[in-house]
Amino acid sequence: MVLVAAVRDYVSKMLSDIAGMKVFVLDAQTLAIVSVATSQSELLQKEVFLVEKAESTSSEPMTHLKAVCFLRPTAENMQNLKEILGQPRFGEYHLFFSNILKTNFVQNLADFDQHEAVQQVQEFYADFIALDPYHFTLNTPSNHLYMVPLLFDPTKIQPLCERIIEGVSSVFLALKKRPVIRYSRNSEIARRIAQDAARLMYEQEAALFDFRRTEVLPLLLIIDRRDDPVTPLLNQWTYQAMVHELIGIQDNKVDLREYSRVPKDQQVVLSSEQDPFFRSNMFENFGDLGMNVKKMVDTFQSQHKSNQNIQSLEDMARFVENYPEFRKMQGNVSKHVALMTEMSRLVDERKLMSVSQAEQELACHSSQAAALDELNVQWELPGVTDDEKLRLAMLYALRYERENPQQLQELVDRLNAGRSKYNSNLLYSLLKQAGEEKRTGDLFSNRDLFNRARTMARGLKGVENVYTQHQPLVFHLIESIAKGRLKDADYPFVGNHAQQGKPQDVVIFIIGGTTYAESRVVALQNAANPGTRVLLGGTVVHNSKSFLRDLEEVQRVGRASIY
Amino acid sequence: MATRNRTALFRKYRTALQQVRPASASTSAQGAVVELSNAPLLRGAASGYNRLSTVDVDGSREGVVSVGLPPPWVDVSEEVAIDMQKIRSKMGELAKAHARALMPTFDDIKGKGQEHNIELMSQDITRLLKKCEQKLRQLSQDRGHSEDMKLRVNVQRSLATDLQTLSVEFRKHQKGYLQRLQQQQQQERASITASYERGKEDEFYDPGFNEQQMSRLKKAEVLSEEREKEVQQIMESVNDLAQIMKDLSTLVIDQGTIVDRIDYNVQQVATSIEQGVRELEQAERTQKKGDMVFCVMVLIALCVFMICVLIFKKLVL
Repeated sequence: MVLVAAVRDYVSKMLSDIAGMKVFVLDAQTLAIVSVATSQSELLQKEVFLVEKAESTSSEPMTHLKAVCFLRPTAENMQNLKEILGQPRFGEYHLFFSNILKTNFVQNLADFDQHEAVQQVQEFYADFIALDPYHFTLNTPSNHLYMVPLLFDPTKIQPLCERIIEGVSSVFLALKKRPVIRYSRNSEIARRIAQDAARLMYEQEAALFDFRRTEVLPLLLIIDRRDDPVTPLLNQWTYQAMVHELIGIQDNKVDLREYSRVPKDQQVVLSSEQDPFFRSNMFENFGDLGMNVKKMVDTFQSQHKSNQNIQSLEDMARFVENYPEFRKMQGNVSKHVALMTEMSRLVDERKLMSVSQAEQELACHSSQAAALDELNVQWELPGVTDDEKLRLAMLYALRYERENPQQLQELVDRLNAGRSKYNSNLLYSLLKQAGEEKRTGDLFSNRDLFNRARTMARGLKGVENVYTQHQPLVFHLIESIAKGRLKDADYPFVGNHAQQGKPQDVVIFIIGGTTYAESRVVALQNAANPGTRVLLGGTVVHNSKSFLRDLEEVQRVGRASIY
Repeated sequence: MATRNRTALFRKYRTALQQVRPASASTSAQGAVVELSNAPLLRGAASGYNRLSTVDVDGSREGVVSVGLPPPWVDVSEEVAIDMQKIRSKMGELAKAHARALMPTFDDIKGKGQEHNIELMSQDITRLLKKCEQKLRQLSQDRGHSEDMKLRVNVQRSLATDLQTLSVEFRKHQKGYLQRLQQQQQQERASITASYERGKEDEFYDPGFNEQQMSRLKKAEVLSEEREKEVQQIMESVNDLAQIMKDLSTLVIDQGTIVDRIDYNVQQVATSIEQGVRELEQAERTQKKGDMVFCVMVLIALCVFMICVLIFKKLVL
């Protein structure tokens, strides 16, 4: 509940103190922030009867309403506020900003407010989209810019860096903690962000961040997506991750309009807060999930039958009483069944079962010849799309980039020959960005003897489920952090901070985006080790398509100007 | 969670800037500043009415925002809120009456009075619920501006949710009362049959009591018939409520669905307005096109006609 609860508390604090009928004015980003944390019916309970966007050009005055504006402190919003306050439509204005306001902002605001409609100006630090209790995202546009070298075009990258720092600092302000900051050594952008964040928290706004110190300081670990390019490329088999991989989840909403023919199920909500079935099944693998959905459908059917069998007045009364519950269950059942059907269809169509097995083999085991053979077999299967072929090739390249460059070239040529919709040089692009020397940390657990021995032991033991063998890098990081053994050489501290002991609160921020597989790892680890609480955040939430798209964008930028 | 209040700083800047700003006449004739006398909480839970803070009537300050009176439909929604408050208090009284009626009594006459009372109260509450529901429907009748419409729909939804919970609660109370009544009925029947059977055994020993037991049995039968009638009436009121529930369910939002998402609702307004604009533009275009095409047709017809006349003239000459 941690992150979602924080945003909900902020929103309810904003609305509860003001009596009367209210209008909630939001911009595009705070709309997303608020939508995942609270619902329309909860807003109605707090007497918010209208929600408007800040850019709205309507001029209908409704002075019996009070406006509660929750906006991000951006230049665009200042412009919107100038217009809003120049001609106030509502009786009162209460302004809440999701991050720190610079003094000249406040000055400009004071200048705009000629009609004295503004009653209060506050900073409420809910500047992140809390998707799940331990997972947040920032939905930054132009995410691919993180892969562009910093010196290349500082002005373009500046807004991305600022947004990340604002988001991360607001998480800590919401939790009332000030962390020790570590970053991924080989990543320039991680170092830049870590240093800027430290400057903000310890120098520029030291008073604001001056919270009660705990014995062991919390930890903020900033890593780069390119340290683990494998996880977004893999196909997923646990519910939430799978839906995002095959269909796509945006701010906990799934758009089934292209898929489902049932008009009612066109857009559905997959929120662990509001849907108890989803909450208990979001990390289950496909097989177990199927069984649970079947159980749910059976329960529903039995209730449906008993509803149809109305004999006496008493039965009728009981039916009417239970009708709202029944309707809710019906909606829920149809939602999950629709999702399962779609995913089953896609799995069959694209032969994902066998492709995914090959992917997992590539990611987890290391025998180059076998890998190449497997890859060839998969490429020949009918129905395998260009995406899958490219992903297999990329996984192969990431693992065996050193061993046999000729094979790699051969693969690239074959991709070219097959007239894939992707530019095959994407492979080399990936290696350039996320090749072995660029990565920090031990992605394939094969850098030192100890890790290699450990993987071999694991391999001998056998795995529970071939499709979920791969553990993202984040898993290993959390393990090391929990034991207090995160290597200084790989993840240095900013400034002269040092950490003794094992931190109890950890925030891992992945510049470039997280995946639902990683958020699953975090949630499971939190459940297993209540001593350490880990939160995960990123600039976006990736699936394989979005990750490949970012690579394409960077390649395009690179070609436009040679760097 | 940390927050920071910038209002003081903001006010400081505002007053400073106002003193610096040159005096300018107020931009629009906003008329007299209307003092809002009543802006009650629609909830009405705590205590009826709350005054909105009024704006200064001080003439020296320019460009003061006039807080106008709310539109008339707000009155309707307030009435509904007040009615719901009445329903809540009546339900409290009814619950007490139920408890009293269920206590075993030895006095039949008092019992009848109580039942009548309960029936009256139940009917009263049902009537109020129906009235509330009708008024709610009224809220979205007349079409106003799109924004006002959205506001009204939301108010309607919120009140409908409350009304639904109230009616569900009421029905649960009634059902509980009903069940306990039936239990009592059954207990009485059981005790009657038991005592009758006991009476049968006693027959050999004391035949004299037979008559007394017969009269007791008759009385008990009458009582149980009355109770059955009562049960029937309560069933009917339950069904009335069922009708109200059905009507309300169309207004209430299903929690957890896409309709309950704030961004979905904002988008709907946006897309419907966009669509409206697009349709208007399209209509404009087709209309213009229609006119143009018509003109062109007429001109072509005229030209053809003239050419025919020319040819005809040439032929004649």
